[in-house]
Amino acid sequence: MPSAAGLAASAVRPWRRPSGRRLNRKLFGLAMVAPALLLYVVFVIYPLFRGAFVSLYQWDGLSPTMTWFGLRNYKYALEDPVFLLSLRNTFQYAIGVTIVKNVLGLGLAVLLNRKLRGRAFFRTAGFLPVIFSFVVVGVLWSWIFNPTFGLADKLLQSIGLGSLEPGWLSDPHLALWSVMWVDVWKWTGFHMVLYLAALQNVPKELYEAAAIDGAGRWQTFRRVTVPSIRPVIAFSTLLALTGAFVANYDVVYVMTGGGPLNSTQVALTYIVSTTFSAQEVGLANAMSMILFVGVAIIGAVQLAVMTRGREPLR
Amino acid sequence: MTAGSATPPRTLTRAPGTGPGPGLRRRIAAFSPGTYLIMGVLVVLTIYPMVWMLLGSFKSLGEFYTNIWGLPQVWRWSNFSLAWNDVQLGQKFINSIIATLGTLILTLPLCSMAGYAFARVDFPLRRYIYYFVLAGIMIPFGVTAVPVLTTEVSLGLFDTRLGLILVYAAQNLPFGIFLMYSFFQSIPGELEEAALIDGCNRFKAFLRIVLPLAKPGLATLLIFTGTSVWNEYLMASVLIHQPNLETLPLGLVNFTTAHSTNYPELFAALSIVTAPVVLLYLVAQRQFISGLTAGALKG
Repeated sequence: MPSAAGLAASAVRPWRRPSGRRLNRKLFGLAMVAPALLLYVVFVIYPLFRGAFVSLYQWDGLSPTMTWFGLRNYKYALEDPVFLLSLRNTFQYAIGVTIVKNVLGLGLAVLLNRKLRGRAFFRTAGFLPVIFSFVVVGVLWSWIFNPTFGLADKLLQSIGLGSLEPGWLSDPHLALWSVMWVDVWKWTGFHMVLYLAALQNVPKELYEAAAIDGAGRWQTFRRVTVPSIRPVIAFSTLLALTGAFVANYDVVYVMTGGGPLNSTQVALTYIVSTTFSAQEVGLANAMSMILFVGVAIIGAVQLAVMTRGREPLR
Repeated sequence: MTAGSATPPRTLTRAPGTGPGPGLRRRIAAFSPGTYLIMGVLVVLTIYPMVWMLLGSFKSLGEFYTNIWGLPQVWRWSNFSLAWNDVQLGQKFINSIIATLGTLILTLPLCSMAGYAFARVDFPLRRYIYYFVLAGIMIPFGVTAVPVLTTEVSLGLFDTRLGLILVYAAQNLPFGIFLMYSFFQSIPGELEEAALIDGCNRFKAFLRIVLPLAKPGLATLLIFTGTSVWNEYLMASVLIHQPNLETLPLGLVNFTTAHSTNYPELFAALSIVTAPVVLLYLVAQRQFISGLTAGALKG
């Protein structure tokens, strides 16, 4: 398909220019993509395959020899009760925070999607935790949950529930929920802003039509709002889900280190400790592959369900 | 942020029940105490922990335990200088700045070039290469942490600034290319064609004509990549072992484990580390918000 420029050039020098242009363009395109592609292949794609390869060997990560292990690392991983627990925790964490962040974010966005004094301030304040590092957020909330002088317990005492004294991070039944709360705290503002932007793009006429038809608040929300912002809901939950599956390392490591009794151990923290403390690099890579496949399947299923019968995301 | 101030007349003239489309207008514009209550709780929940952190960093250790809610009796600025020296924050600031700038110097040009080529230039296998790169958005980088480490060791890049920067840049490429691709697609093509006719070569046309139009996209990319690199912990903890190369998140975690009893000083360190990002956010919050959410909306 000759461009306008190509045509103009061929009019001047008809015997050489057309094919030269085309070749030029192909080389130009490849040259523009090549540096990024090189970096991507060396530091993202190659390590992924390298991980799959190493997962078939027994290796401490240092010695020059690797012992062929076949699928035994996978067998060991799936027989390891702590790894299974960490997978269970990862699922609870990811699915739990995804639901809460999106429900809260959408709810807050609906509240903010009207003429409201101070709306810009609420938006700015709500988004603030998003820019914080999980290290800072994790350390901060560890002290808030501290049993001797933490804010959380003082708050309970001040409303007369001091006798509960929940071990926010020390009770194995509660610790994972506390860490999940911190994730929700950090990210809800992000989803709120996302949904707010989506809501502002819903045509006003749809709401007016719904009002004329006598639709109530909940009906309007179900029949007008949700279908209109469906692609954003799909993307937002996908983002939250895949993010929560694999970006939970920092907060768990900083707040509990996976304890007490592995109750907050997630797959990533266990993989890292398998690598560096146990030096079972082959086994750790097998665990990584299991996690990777799990995340990919869940992401694909989630996207398929959320966009069912719809035109796929661009 | 825009809509609140864009249409003042309608809000001013509204009275309950008198607007057009009776039920609806009233509902959209009504003052509702419930909403303010919920928003108030939200604001307290997001801001109070940070205020508490800042106040805590001025207190003495004793006061930290006894005077939990109140203002510090004596404002101990010395906590900040102590923290600065103990955590060697100066060095870690420099390291974090180098890592962030280095990553940006790589990602901004690479993502613009690749995004432009994918959007505008017809070359062999373009579509497949684009999907191949795009798939990277779905790869959980934590999963590749260990093989990345082995790769860096074999390339002699382990425990170096360059090694960290290359990994950060590579991991931020897929999203960045996707973002720039969407941006270049929205810019009309006539401009570069005119430039080509005028005798510009393709690269010059890209550099002089198209790129300046993509400034908002670049700003978005800068904020997205900049924040994620500034806050990154896992890769840094795997790839950096020399104390003098540690970035801020690494330094903070190590300080937490080493001085786990000196809370005011720890809080001072947290405040120092957080301050630049918060200030930047307050100055450029529009760009921050669009930068961090653009991917989802464009998607």
